[in-house]
Amino acid sequence: MVKKRVWSALFLAALLLLSACGTGSNNGKESTSPANGTNNESAGSTLKPAKLKIVLYGDESNRMKELSKAEFKDLIKKEINADIEFQFLPWTEYGGGKTDLMLSTGEDFATYTDTNYMVKSVAKGLYTDLTPFMDNAAGDMKKSIDDNSFTAFQLDGKQYAVPVGNKPNSGEFYSVLARQDLLEEVGMTGISSLAELEAFYDKVHAKHPELIGYASTDARKMLMYEYTDKNLFWQNDMLAIDEAAKDDKVISWFESEDFKAYAAIMRGWYQKGIIPKYAATNLPQLQSDWNSGKAMFWAGTAARPFEGAASITQAVPTAKLANYFLSKDFPKISRGTYSTAWFVSANAADPERYVMFFNLLQKNQELYDLFAYGIKDKDYTLDENGRLTRNTTDALIPDWLLMNKNFMRFDNTVPDDFIAQYKAWDDDAIISKGAGFNFDNTPVKNEETKINGVFSELLAPIASGFLDYDTYFPKALEKLKAAGFDKYMAEYQKQFSAWYAAKS
Amino acid sequence: MANQENRMLIVVFYACISLFALICLIPFVMAVSGSFSTEARLAAEGYSFLPRGFSLDTYAFMFGSKAEQILQAYLTSAIVTVLGTASAVLVTTAYAYVITVKGFRYRNFFAFMAYFTMLFSGGTLPWYILATKYYHLDNTLAGLFVPYLLNVFLMYLQANYFKSIPHEIIESAQIDGAGHIHIFFRIMLPLGQVGLVTISLFYALQFWNDFYLPLLLVSEERLYTIQYMMYNMMANIQYLASGNSAQIGGAIIAPPLETAKMAMTCLTVLPIAILYPFLQRYFVRGIIVGSVKG
Amino acid sequence: MSDEALQPGKAAGGSRRFKSLRNDSSLFLLALPGVIVLVLFAYLPMSGLILVFKNYNYNGGIFGSPWAGFENFEFFFSSMDNAIRATRNTVMLNVLYMLTGTFFSVAIAIVLNELRGKLFIKITQSVMFFPYFISWIVIGAILFSFLDFDKGVMNRLLEAVGMQPVDWYSNPWLFVVVLVLANIWKSAGYGAIIYYAVLQGIDPSYYEAARIDGASRIQLITRITLPLLIPSIILLTLLGIGGMLKGDLSMIMGVTFLNPLLLPTTDIIDVYVYRTAIRSGEFGFASAITLYQSVFGFLLVLIANKLAGWYDKESKLF
Repeated sequence: MVKKRVWSALFLAALLLLSACGTGSNNGKESTSPANGTNNESAGSTLKPAKLKIVLYGDESNRMKELSKAEFKDLIKKEINADIEFQFLPWTEYGGGKTDLMLSTGEDFATYTDTNYMVKSVAKGLYTDLTPFMDNAAGDMKKSIDDNSFTAFQLDGKQYAVPVGNKPNSGEFYSVLARQDLLEEVGMTGISSLAELEAFYDKVHAKHPELIGYASTDARKMLMYEYTDKNLFWQNDMLAIDEAAKDDKVISWFESEDFKAYAAIMRGWYQKGIIPKYAATNLPQLQSDWNSGKAMFWAGTAARPFEGAASITQAVPTAKLANYFLSKDFPKISRGTYSTAWFVSANAADPERYVMFFNLLQKNQELYDLFAYGIKDKDYTLDENGRLTRNTTDALIPDWLLMNKNFMRFDNTVPDDFIAQYKAWDDDAIISKGAGFNFDNTPVKNEETKINGVFSELLAPIASGFLDYDTYFPKALEKLKAAGFDKYMAEYQKQFSAWYAAKS
Repeated sequence: MANQENRMLIVVFYACISLFALICLIPFVMAVSGSFSTEARLAAEGYSFLPRGFSLDTYAFMFGSKAEQILQAYLTSAIVTVLGTASAVLVTTAYAYVITVKGFRYRNFFAFMAYFTMLFSGGTLPWYILATKYYHLDNTLAGLFVPYLLNVFLMYLQANYFKSIPHEIIESAQIDGAGHIHIFFRIMLPLGQVGLVTISLFYALQFWNDFYLPLLLVSEERLYTIQYMMYNMMANIQYLASGNSAQIGGAIIAPPLETAKMAMTCLTVLPIAILYPFLQRYFVRGIIVGSVKG
Repeated sequence: MSDEALQPGKAAGGSRRFKSLRNDSSLFLLALPGVIVLVLFAYLPMSGLILVFKNYNYNGGIFGSPWAGFENFEFFFSSMDNAIRATRNTVMLNVLYMLTGTFFSVAIAIVLNELRGKLFIKITQSVMFFPYFISWIVIGAILFSFLDFDKGVMNRLLEAVGMQPVDWYSNPWLFVVVLVLANIWKSAGYGAIIYYAVLQGIDPSYYEAARIDGASRIQLITRITLPLLIPSIILLTLLGIGGMLKGDLSMIMGVTFLNPLLLPTTDIIDVYVYRTAIRSGEFGFASAITLYQSVFGFLLVLIANKLAGWYDKESKLF
């Protein structure tokens, strides 16, 4: 009897011990004094030691693991006297999930964000205001990244996130990225109108019925020239502004005549099979089809002709890609040239050091090469033209994130004229008149949430042609109004006007 | 006459079970064959019983240079599963016994206390704060199973199995002067073996399949479990394939989305699905013998 | 001996002896590990439930953030048609799952119990359990290759027998059938294992006595096997009723890919919250609705538990 009781107690104790043991092994991590603070003969030595934790999303490659414990670590220690640690999280945790938990529990770290997540997080007090550190710590960055990208991540004049990357991205998705090889196969030379685009589909479809037409469900940007005279630029799913008009008017996209015309085109595409039937169900399949050379065209960006080419040519060796604008009358609109932006958690001990680290990433060619491509002649080689050959497929600090047109390198499969075209892509672009405006949704949180429900159930499928405009739009509109769209719209207009007036 | 009828019935029974088992097996075969197919042909032609263009590309993509980490993750998963199942079965059966003791005044109190947690939870944030700041379970082996030691659903199942043990046996033991601890270890555990086999199976699966605890509590690679590694890989592949990455300026990569889903299933499900039925008897016997001897 | 303590009914009123108290203390000891786990990982975190009535911010934390009253519930209940449709869909699917799932699980368990081939039972049992391991994403992908309009196997079969192809993914009511079948397929084996284990624990002498009386196999099943399973069926149903308002988001996401055309029947509470609150990043809204689901389920369980108590006191959950 007594023996049994002892046994139970032991069992319990063992359980507690297990957790206690765990705690023990954790202690090492919590010690704050940097273990290898001996490396002091450098520029960074005037700074007191600091610890930085950078969270990145995706898989950590083996090479990244090696470098972050060796060359990256040493270099960062030398340059800014900081001990750096990289933590990788699954993409599902971006903009929520564990990232939110880490922010809410006051962990000391930095990672990247977008304007939506920034606005929400700042409202909860989760980000550090980085304004005081920008002048001292971000000097090099300001040279290699344009001003608009900085203002995009300001709220009330405060810099809550620091942009990273600098690449031409005006007119994103405003062009048709077509399979040039198919175009030539059916005897066409280019595409300059909707009629030609549909002719392209018809001709290819007759020859290759197994191919789908468009590998996406959203063509409002590429087709804009067909259904409106305005130069629309969407602020979010619901609202747009006209870049051709010099006013502060916000347009309710779904209520406009333009949307009606657009929905009619898309309905036609869906019924004709340019957008396949399964698109309503299996969206990822569309991209999968594009990547395996089973689609005729897609929405284009400056970089897409070479960015995605490798996977298609693997499936179809003769594939070639080209961007076509259905009309070139309007200037391309840019939102700023950033890829994304870094923020620092609210509880960070040394936010300035984080900014110094961000600065380091975009400081000069040498550092850019190191962080994006690794060690020269080991991880990559350069030929006499400066073309890049990587010896490993392991991603380091993701290159889409760093991508800066001043520093980025191309491999030798990309033609010269292409690089020239790419670098000049933004030359005739204008910056959106709404760039830098961030909507504070706090007063209309409820409305916005309900509107999202109507959007995903009715408006999005109407916009993609899955549902017929004439039959379903009246009901959708009714629901939209019931969800409080007018209040939402009024609030948005109010904030936008105030911001617009203050800007000019 | 009746005999023939019975024989007919048995044949029908065998046929029904075989049919259902077959239906359950089909998607599995498709998953295995899918994992050996090439992504392009799978996308074009759909699933079948034989691989579409036999290829090991998907496994090569998933393992990449990570073979060593994957093996380590299997080991961690195995340790977590064994430790977790053994301790959870003991915690659960003990609790289940308590709520089945007739005449125990607080029996309903304990039952309710457990049931209430099945419905109400405080959400992830407070849980995360407590687990990391107060219990310090982050980056510990204990963190991977201790929070799941009492699954209330399985506790009720076990209580249900205990209830079917004839009450006279317990009564006579009590007349002999045995206390509850003695009765629990010496009588209930051995007699409730069928239940034990069942809940230990479910527990083993729970621990093997879990990716949530590592997601929340682990940042050191040595503690990654196989499910978490796969979850991580899948989340990233799916993200890349969804085109969301384009929104934040991502490059276009063409990961083998469909085949990877299938390969992931094979890598995580098959080991336990095939091994466990053969191991369970020894495992359960181990728990019972271990606790009786203790 | 303290047989008072052993018999239900008597103990409650009578005076308890010292012996039974000592007995009780060992019961507390047995429950202790479980209690610790519950307190640490369920009850203490429950303090977070007050967040549902608050506007969370970092500086205030869980306790210091400003009160929001019922603001977090508003998005859901201010548009009643959505709330009602979501609740209706959730309850409808759950009831269908529960009825069909229980029926098939019990049927399989009973049939297995009649068979004697040990190896056959072992193998089929394991195989039937397989689907339970496969994630809904994978099931969805395989199902898609069956049901796709153009390339799916089902439509090719229909065409082969001269019928019109069906656009499965745009027919909300037809898809309910697909969901129910998918659910049976995934969970019937799991349930069968639970019931089969109960049957294995049955004393064979029950059957022998009946067999001597000349009962047929069917009679044995309906008069002995089935009644013996009833307490377990009640238990699993009661446990299921608590989750009556909780839906499986991963199932709908995996199998329908959140296809908007199917939402009239697949827009369960969890899906609605996902497409509105979670996609808008309003996680506070999402946890508020979780509380609604819990409270509603709790009320249902209280009623069901009472009903079960009338049938048999031992069937009650608490």
